[in-house]
This record gives sequence, structure tokens and C-alpha cells, in this order.
Amino acid sequence: MIEGKLVDLVPFEDDFATYFEQWMNEESWFRARVWERREPHPEDAVKKFIEKMEKNEHGALIGFQTKDGDPIGGVIWDHEWTRVRKVDAILFVGDMRYEGTDEALDGLLMLLRYVFETRGVHRVDAAALAFDEVRIEFYHRAGFSHEGTLRQHVRWDGDYVDLELFGLLEDEWPGYEQITAQLDLQPSGIEPKPKPEKKDEKKNGSGQQPG
Amino acid sequence: MTVLHGLLVDLVPSTAEFGEKMYQFWNNESRMWATMGDYGPISRAQIERIREERAQAVERGYTGVHFMMRARDGQIIGNIGLNWVDYYNRVAYLGSWIGEPDYWSGGHGTDALLLLVEYGLSWLDLRRLALSTMGPNVRAQRNVEKVGFRLEARERQATLVNGAWVDALTYGMLREEWRGRDVLVEELDLRARAEQRYGTGDE
Amino acid sequence: MLEGLLVDLVPYGERFKKLEHRWHNGEGWFWASAGDRMILTRSMIERHQQEQAEWHERHGSHGVWFGIQTKDGTPIGDMAVNWMVPHARLAMLGAGIGEPEYWGGGYGTDALLLMIDYCFDWLDLRKLWLGTMAKNARVMRQMEKVGFTLESRVREEWYTDGEWVDGLLYGLLRTEWPGREAKVEELGLRERAANRKAGA
Repeated sequence: MIEGKLVDLVPFEDDFATYFEQWMNEESWFRARVWERREPHPEDAVKKFIEKMEKNEHGALIGFQTKDGDPIGGVIWDHEWTRVRKVDAILFVGDMRYEGTDEALDGLLMLLRYVFETRGVHRVDAAALAFDEVRIEFYHRAGFSHEGTLRQHVRWDGDYVDLELFGLLEDEWPGYEQITAQLDLQPSGIEPKPKPEKKDEKKNGSGQQPG
Repeated sequence: MTVLHGLLVDLVPSTAEFGEKMYQFWNNESRMWATMGDYGPISRAQIERIREERAQAVERGYTGVHFMMRARDGQIIGNIGLNWVDYYNRVAYLGSWIGEPDYWSGGHGTDALLLLVEYGLSWLDLRRLALSTMGPNVRAQRNVEKVGFRLEARERQATLVNGAWVDALTYGMLREEWRGRDVLVEELDLRARAEQRYGTGDE
Repeated sequence: MLEGLLVDLVPYGERFKKLEHRWHNGEGWFWASAGDRMILTRSMIERHQQEQAEWHERHGSHGVWFGIQTKDGTPIGDMAVNWMVPHARLAMLGAGIGEPEYWGGGYGTDALLLMIDYCFDWLDLRKLWLGTMAKNARVMRQMEKVGFTLESRVREEWYTDGEWVDGLLYGLLRTEWPGREAKVEELGLRERAANRKAGA
């Protein structure tokens, strides 16, 4: 576990793996993954994704949760290019009650802390669909610069939307301690959800509907 | 429809002889330009392994389309292709590499690019093409701009080249912005440039 | 994941796969498979599922599989893009309602309308195909209602229950599709769904 101000980074397993079957089918997942095809993910696809990320030498999937241990979502660093020390960063919120909260923002900051301060990268890349204002706001608050727009780059519900590209360099990152102090993160006070039911007790495997 | 005939080059399927060419190209300066700064000696065995991996990727559903570039004089001068065809978003990323410095700035790259764009739009029904190059590669920037690509993103310090951080530039072109190969062949005077280099007469 | 009036389309997961033993050995499979009658053990089905998954992974078939479930979460069948030709933006649909008591109640049509919208709006396909056999009057009627056009009749394509029957291929172009909302109106699906709820 890596402890942050409002959230902690934890291995993506146990309750996270259970919730992920739901999260990976919600709109917020596809908004975070920007160019992935919107398609159903049954349990084995979800499991396979977790496994793939566990074996990934150039990336990882990490869970983040509140101080009470309530799982919020995940952060991903991926496509690490060793020669150039460059990496892609992705934040996704699974429990949509936390969308736009400082807990979610802290998830992103913790990811940046990890890639800059532990992995020593030079540059972080991030992307957002043009209408995803919450995400774009997060990138700005975390200190990213907007570096361009790939026009009509991604299919989204009957239309093609622009993809906004962002970058953050190591000398622009003030350090986790400093940026969290500066942003004055506040807990949202959201009640932790009850623990998920054990898999075999689950009758109809509910939760495929978007939240 | 896998051989695309241009004025200075033809785009043809890769053959066995390309292994040796690749060995040569990957060990000369062209590699730095085509890979945004990657450089270093590479053995024949490593090249063979890379070729094998690429062949296997196709079996695993890799969607790229690659051509060898053959100049009018029969020389294999490089390769060009769609490194990644995203059929879901109907976007592809172009990559091009002329490994013979003698053939730089003679119009060969432009001729090949026109063929590839036309192929992507007319045969693969893509609606957008994108490509990236690095800040110092002014030649590539000029070429793609002439063809109708627009600069869409400048990622700062995205790659390290000869000890310096340089930007990566991403260009994009939408289907409706493509003016057609014929128009551009005229405008860029490719016929005259081909004649100048290779003389008249059809092959 | 895709919400309809009588059914939702959700990931085709374990809940559905477990039912394949009943569905594939039942009457529904006869209609969905164009006249095959199969007797399959659980392990045969598991092996088949395994092989299918491996094949799709190796070949990148671009398939998409949904399970069909009723509004109370009961799995009743499947709805799929079995394969597509990306550069032609053409896809072959496949579907089946494994539970016979849900035949003729508008469940399949509701699922199909969701799928068509998904194919056009999210996958940006240009054309959809769906095949059946000339014995399958229910599907033939459904195809016409939904707006598909009979494009080809392959004479005596299938041998089923002791006789040869024609194979039918239906197509729907995107330009012909008025959108799911319009079709729901036209077919009166909302009323049917309301009646069903009242009756239940």
C-alpha cells in the first residue's frame, strides 16, 4: 500500500476484482480508455485484463481506495518507454459516486507521484474525450498542459469526437506533498458502500447496467 | 491490389531480400529519423527475430499493412505502411522510412505517401489518418503538410535524440480534407520530378 | 449494458455459458442453428467454448457477444456479431432465444433493435446481415417487421428433420434504418412491454 492524503494505492485484487466486473462495463471505463471499442466484458475478459496487466512489464493496473478502505476505481500506467522515460497515465472511477471528487483527483495525483517519484519518468501522457470535462479539469489541476487535439478521433455513440492530449514533465511536477497542500484536498464524506457479496452467493450477477 | 504504382516508386509486398535491406537501414542514420531518435548497432540475428515477431503478430490479429518501397530504378529504398489500423475508430497511423539517403528529398517519400493515403481511404474505408514525427525532422513536416495533413498536437519533450529532448508532432487528416492523388501529383509536380530523375517512358 | 423495454443486453458471461447445455440441447438451438439437432455433454460444450475463445483470440474476429436477459435478470438467450469485415463495415449477426416460453413475446425483437442501434451508433457499421432457414417463419416475419430485406435464397442449403430447406440471407443497410426509437413506436413495443408488466 502507498498511502496518500485522501486515498491509498493498493493491489488490484479481492473486492476490486469483484467490482471490476461491473466497472469494466460502465460508460466511465470507456471514457477513461478513450479508444477502446465499446463492447461487453464478461467475467473471463475482465479476469484476462487483470492478468494481462499483472504480467505487463511496461505498465500496471493499481487500485485506489478511501482511507476507510472503500474501493473507488483504478489507475493505470502503461506503455512505459524506457529509453525516453515516458509513460501513459489513465485514471478511472468505478464507483461513480466519487466522480469529480477530491478522492478521485487524489487517485490521479498518487499515480503521478508513483511514476515521477518512484519510477523516475521524464514525461507523462494523458488523453481525454473532448466532452469529458471532469477529466480535463483534473488534468489541469494536476498541472498538465494541453498539447493538442486529434480531430474526430474516437467513435462515441453515433458520432466522432475530438481527443484532447495532455502532457506533464518531470520538472513541472512540484512533488506530491507540495501539490496536495496547494490544492487543499477535502474528503467528500461519501459513505463507504457495503462489501460486495461473495461470488457464488450472487444470484443474477447484477450490476451490468450503467450507473 | 497489393501493388500500388506511383511515379517515382511502387509500393510492393515485402520479400525475403528485405531482411538484408532492413539490416542496412537499421544500422544507418535513417533509423534515427524514422524512429524519433532510436539508434545503435543491431545484428542480423536481431533483425531476423524482429521480422519473425512481426510475422507472428499478424497471426495474432495485428492489423498493420506494410509495403516495401521500390524506386523506378528497381532499388529497394525503404518501407511505408499503416502501423496500426484501428478499424473501430476507422483511423490508421502511418509510418514511413527511407533507408537510402540518396533518395531523400527527391519526391520518393511524397509519391509513396500519396499512394498510401489513397489506399487507406479508398480501400480500407478509413475516415482519418494520423502520423507522428519529431521536431527536428523538418523535411517530414514539410512533406506531410504539402499533402494536406494538419498539425494537431505538439507533445513537449516526448523523445530523446542525440542527448537532447525534442517534441513529438502529431499530424492528422480527415477523409474530407483529402484532395485526391491526381490533384496533388499535379500540384507537387511529381511527373516532372520523376522524369528528371528517371527519364521519360513508362516502365 | 444496453437497456431495452423487455430485455437488456449484457456481457455474455458465466451465467449464460452455464445455460448453453440446456439451450444447445433444446428446441431453440434447432431454430438458431438452421436445423441442427444436437446431443451434447457438458464437457463437449466446455471444450467447444474453450476452442471458440482461442480461435477468436488468435484470429481477431472482431466479434461482439451479448447475453439477453429479461428485466428481472433472467438469462434467456444471446445476441451477437459473429464476425465482421472491417474494411467493408459489414457484420453478420447471430441470435437465439434459448428459453421457448419467451418466443413470440417481443423479447427477441426488442433485443434485435438494441443490437442494430449498437452496431450503427457504436461500431459505425454500414450493413448488417442475418441468416436463417426458410422453415423459420417466426424469424422471417421478424426480419420483415424490423426492416431487413431478403437478399439471397440459397436453395436447399440445410438438411433438417429429413428434408432440404433453403437458406435465407437478410440484409439491412444503415441508410434504411430509422433508428431504434422510431421502430419501437412503429411496432408498438412500448405497449407490449406495459401489457406484459401488467399481466405479470
